[in-house]
Amino acid sequence: MRDAAPVREASGIERFLAMGTRVELHRFGPGDADALARARRAIEAVDDALTIHRPSPATALNEVLRNGGTARINDPLLLDALLRIAAGRAMTDGLFDPAAQVGRADAGWQALHIDARAATVASDRPVALDFGGFGKGYALDRAAAALRDAGVTCALLSAGESSISVVGEHPLGGAWSFAIPDPRSADRTLAEVDLVDEALSVSSTLGAGALAPGRAATVRPMDGVAIRAPRTAVAVDRRGAVAEMLSTALIIADDRQARCLQANGRRMIFELAHDACDGMVTE
Amino acid sequence: MTDKTFDLSRRAFLDRALLATAGSVMAGATPWVALAAGAQTAGAGRVRLGVIGTGDRGRALIQNIAKTRNCTVAAICDSYAPNLGKARQWVPAGTPEFADHRAMLDARGLDAVVIATPLDMHARHTLDAFDAGLHVWCEKAMARTIADCGAMVTASQERGKILQIGHQRMFHPTYLNALRRVKAGEIGTITQIRASWHRNNSWRRKVPADSTDRRINWRLYRESSAGLMTELATHQLQVGNWFLDAVPTRVMGSGSICYWKDGREVYDHVALIYEYAGGRKLIYTSLLNNARYGCEEQIQGSKGTIEPELGRIYQEVPPRALALERMQADVQRGHKRTIPIGGATWFPELPVTTPGESLGWGEYDETMLQFEGFGEAVRTGKPLPGLLRQAYQASVASLLGEQAMDGGQALAWPTSLVTI
Ligand SMILES: NC(=O)c1ccc[n+]([C@@H]2O[C@H](COP(=O)([O-])OP(=O)(O)OC[C@H]3O[C@@H](n4cnc5c(N)ncnc54)[C@H](O)[C@@H]3O)[C@@H](O)[C@H]2O)c1
Repeated sequence: MRDAAPVREASGIERFLAMGTRVELHRFGPGDADALARARRAIEAVDDALTIHRPSPATALNEVLRNGGTARINDPLLLDALLRIAAGRAMTDGLFDPAAQVGRADAGWQALHIDARAATVASDRPVALDFGGFGKGYALDRAAAALRDAGVTCALLSAGESSISVVGEHPLGGAWSFAIPDPRSADRTLAEVDLVDEALSVSSTLGAGALAPGRAATVRPMDGVAIRAPRTAVAVDRRGAVAEMLSTALIIADDRQARCLQANGRRMIFELAHDACDGMVTE
Repeated sequence: MTDKTFDLSRRAFLDRALLATAGSVMAGATPWVALAAGAQTAGAGRVRLGVIGTGDRGRALIQNIAKTRNCTVAAICDSYAPNLGKARQWVPAGTPEFADHRAMLDARGLDAVVIATPLDMHARHTLDAFDAGLHVWCEKAMARTIADCGAMVTASQERGKILQIGHQRMFHPTYLNALRRVKAGEIGTITQIRASWHRNNSWRRKVPADSTDRRINWRLYRESSAGLMTELATHQLQVGNWFLDAVPTRVMGSGSICYWKDGREVYDHVALIYEYAGGRKLIYTSLLNNARYGCEEQIQGSKGTIEPELGRIYQEVPPRALALERMQADVQRGHKRTIPIGGATWFPELPVTTPGESLGWGEYDETMLQFEGFGEAVRTGKPLPGLLRQAYQASVASLLGEQAMDGGQALAWPTSLVTI
């Protein structure tokens, strides 16, 4: 904690619903007047492309993949997302898999054949993609890029408070510091994380977020098992999309995989089986 | 109001309506507005109207007609002398009066009639006017039966005469603004409209000694009215069809005489679901013993809600995150501390109580504009496009709703309607 001169420069807030959650964009200091509006549009564009809850390019893609066919991807955002997911899946050794399905070991990304140049995706068996564990971080990345393009050097972006991205340093200087609460007890903190020009993603099998209506369980792609062990995972990365995929992968990872995932960067797993104080912290 | 200030407020009203409907999207969706607002002043050649029915509504219409630039009341007619007497003060001295509409039609000297009689007489009066070679402006709802609504449309088509129905919301700047913002995607995809007209009174008028309950309280008798459906719901069903840009595929409902058990024949409680293609719905209730929710159409989209009667638009903005709010306050006072995050990412589903944003009210004269539009249609011999279809579909929807409630069965939208 420290005190400094109050900030008097232009600041602004944009609050809206997107991707099924509450989004807040807070900007401070210089930048174009319409920067927040542009950032909001960037998020809404990701939502419009990746949502599976209403007609969208993603819904149309799923329609084809459910029948085991070949889809042409005309939406550049969706194509970009698919390629980033492919990279994220490789990086997490197959743990992050938006095609995984409860009870179906045969579903999953391996059923897909992506041809980036032809912009096609084919599947040899019925699968469907859920961009939930990727979209929020990805949307924040694009919004942060829009803010930077608009000359903004200081901002905080939050999607449902489980995905956070910051542009630059805190308005009063230094890192932005966040406390991650224990999902079992709001007044206890699992960890504090400092961010500068970085993104943070929190995944949990416990707590209000995990219990929210319509929230799909995290599924282990190898055997289609829904992860029920009480666990919270935190990942920090320069890119929100990567942080998002990592935090999901960490929820699923076994000990060996977790060690690999944590090899570089700030990645944390909290086993919450017992009292919060017993939670294993592996940073 | 002086003539000058009236002119100014008239101009301001027309500007509001024109502004709301500017641009190709709105011009395509509401073509009648620009035509009505651009109506030519007729000077001595005003369209001569004979008003049939000078009850409450008829007299309000007469006053609105007087404000127009291109219409004039040239005769009045009512079978009930006291109501004719009450209308006299609003028309030039010497305006011919009739107790029988046929006598008025036979007397000639008219271009069109305005019908504001009880619902079950609309068809008769309309057809007689067409027979006399006149154009017709008739109050909503169109007629007591779906068949009669169709007969009115057919007669107007066969005779080549204008038939315009009094659905004034289609000329109301607030509604037009609401539609413009819907078309601009501001409230996202509309999937539901929840409409209600709730009052807390018996809806019963005092019967003078020289009349009868059936005449005065015609709204409460089935032979002359479908009650809440034709008298109130028609307006809102028109709004529903208009904003959903479709007609219902099916309607189901329940009606009862639940509170005012005073010998009336029509329901004092109605609750209906109108289904539209794509799973969309209009949920309608009207009742006469609770006024809390009043008259409103809550037009609900994925990004916001419009409540045109209140004149407000609400965005789907969630409550603010407390931690981030505190962060803002901290920064303002130059205080930095750790931001607790990752709390609940959803929130209790209470109604949103934000004040919303105004759609723009104002003194309105949409009823006057309806008549300027009608005058222009009569002058050019061309109906204002789009209006009659809206009216016909709203009347059919209200009458189909009555049938669904009476039969206790869901009813599909009729396939045998007249094409407009
Ligand atoms: N658009 C609106 O907002 C709105 C508002 C109110 C009423 N209305 C409509 O206006 C119409 C009249 O409603 P109202 O409240 O004025 O009813 P009302 O009972 O006050 O008036 C009806 C008048 O018609 C007269 N009449 C009855 N039979 C007649 C006949 N054969 N020939 C001549 N006159 C006859 C009656 O004597 C009475 O004066 C209805 O169709 C109603 O739905 C529309």
